Amino acid sequence: MVGRIEFKGVPAAGGIGIGKAHFLQERQNEVSPEKIHQDDIQLNIDKCNRAFGALKEEFIKLKEDAVGEVADIIDAQIESLKDPELYKTILYKIESERYEAEYAIFSTLNEYIHIMENADADWLNERTIDLIAIRDQLIDVARNKKQGEDLEPGSVVFATNVSPTSMIELSKNSIAGLVMQKGGLTSHAVILAQSLDIPCVIGVEWKVKRFKNSEETIVDGDLGIVVVRPSVSEQRAYDERKKTEQKKAEEILEISKKPSETACGKRFKLQANVEFLEELPKVKTHGAEGVGLLRTETILFQKKGFDVNDQLDFYRKVVEASDDSDVTVRLFDAGGDKLLDDMDTESNPFLGWRGIRMLLDESELLGNQLEAIYRLSGEYSGRIKLLAPMVSCVSEIHRLKKRILEVKDRLTEMGIKFDQNLPIGVMVEVPSVAIMADRVAKEVDFFSIGTNDLTQYTLAVDRGNEKISSLYQPYHPAIWKLIKMTIDGAKKSNIPVTVCGEMASKPKTAACLFGLGIENLSMTTSALPRVKSMLCSHTMDSMRILSEQVMNANSPGEVQILMNKFGE
Amino acid sequence: MIKKTVTVKNEAGLHARPSSVLVKTASKFESDFYISMYGYKVNGKSILGVMTLAAESGAEMELIFEGEDEQEALTAISELFENKFENN
Repeated sequence: MVGRIEFKGVPAAGGIGIGKAHFLQERQNEVSPEKIHQDDIQLNIDKCNRAFGALKEEFIKLKEDAVGEVADIIDAQIESLKDPELYKTILYKIESERYEAEYAIFSTLNEYIHIMENADADWLNERTIDLIAIRDQLIDVARNKKQGEDLEPGSVVFATNVSPTSMIELSKNSIAGLVMQKGGLTSHAVILAQSLDIPCVIGVEWKVKRFKNSEETIVDGDLGIVVVRPSVSEQRAYDERKKTEQKKAEEILEISKKPSETACGKRFKLQANVEFLEELPKVKTHGAEGVGLLRTETILFQKKGFDVNDQLDFYRKVVEASDDSDVTVRLFDAGGDKLLDDMDTESNPFLGWRGIRMLLDESELLGNQLEAIYRLSGEYSGRIKLLAPMVSCVSEIHRLKKRILEVKDRLTEMGIKFDQNLPIGVMVEVPSVAIMADRVAKEVDFFSIGTNDLTQYTLAVDRGNEKISSLYQPYHPAIWKLIKMTIDGAKKSNIPVTVCGEMASKPKTAACLFGLGIENLSMTTSALPRVKSMLCSHTMDSMRILSEQVMNANSPGEVQILMNKFGE
Repeated sequence: MIKKTVTVKNEAGLHARPSSVLVKTASKFESDFYISMYGYKVNGKSILGVMTLAAESGAEMELIFEGEDEQEALTAISELFENKFENN
């Protein structure tokens, strides 16, 4: 046993991985061209069918709990296995050229692999590894060879390159880390490592002979360092770091599992703000009770046709990831500048044609989204809510409701069922709505306060403008006063109020909001554990006292001091 | 048999995802479907064939359909090119 070896590479997926080195076996890629007897043709066709069937089944199983990028990758693999030309050529090689199934598979796939390897297009080169994976797996099944290899859980895997599908399999073996010679930062394997929380370093050149399987190894995915046979002190330091990381992760899990109750036993509800499918796994693991704000701008910008079915697909995935809880879909909240290329630029877009104002003019866009949301409500009755952005007066709500009636009539005519009582809410982000909250509350089923825009519109401060950014003060007593007015107005009509802005995601402001009487907060998933831990560890009384003090404060500075002191 | 020349309009070209959408749609029809480009001709129901064309944005290709539902197939496939494969 000789000394420590250190490799430097490119950090690709963060975290610390500690485990025993495991060299991923490069498969024996040579298959010799064995000829078969005429009587064995059927046997070889069966063998080939069995291999395709088994692999297809495996991919379909892998796809079950996959979303986003991962699902796309597996989908393409399944399509390749269904390729009629591929199958026809393999069959021809068995039936007419009398090759053994293994060789027929091997040589046919190699023809495609060769084309892909030599293509000018980078994306096509990148697909090569997927096809090689399919080739080798098909041959393994045809040969009745056990799939995968004996991989101790918790190993640090060294590989030249890893295909997306074997990456998914590796993660099921709970590997501690991954070190690759090749692979770019945007390669599928790296994207997967990131989303699966596997520390990964790429671009590492190692010499196989310098160390062997099961030697102690550390992967530092934050700094891009790989250490084989670490020194004792180094090992200890990394152990510490790893422990701290794990503790943090465990705390998150523990807090997420706890019931949502204050120290005195009062219930509260924390929900997730969601925009991308990739965020969905965290809705459950971080203990959200459903989605309090589903942003739909991204699908608006990605898809040009605002197609109803496209939207439905996206919405369904979100609802499916939220157990039995409710999902609040916010209508497209975009500025007109982003909608049309040839739009005249507005001189003041934040005070311009955006949110509901734009939607009421864009009849088809609004109609399609309403139809998608109402169809969704028929599939998941009682779980869907609708939220309108940038509302500034009651007449906008009336016009929206008229459009909703039209959509409902159309769906009824078509015989499509939907939730008759789907709750309709408005964002409270324009001060006029907060001020008139008692009147507006009579028209809607709930309020959702967007504290970021409310702050910006109340203080007349563009938060993106550096020269005045110090004037953007979410702690300003004026904001708290407007929040209080909103709560009081809602109370008169007995409708619920939620907060979905940044204020909900800061533990102490969340405590203050709760003290004011808001029992439902929605925030980015990563903030859920810390907010939950704050609310769980305090009593209703202490939070009420904080909110009363804040309501009496004279300046943002005073509010800041009150917040700082809270809980200490 | 009917033919139509179309242009690849989506920015990234006919890469993996659009190819997958194209093949899935084509497979819903009985008609044979071929794509001809730069003298190559591939089966439009074969994802590996379609991908290895490596058609970039702006590339022109000829779609060839033959079978009972050729008209419907042509309409559906042309629409995909028109919508840049985004509606699926």
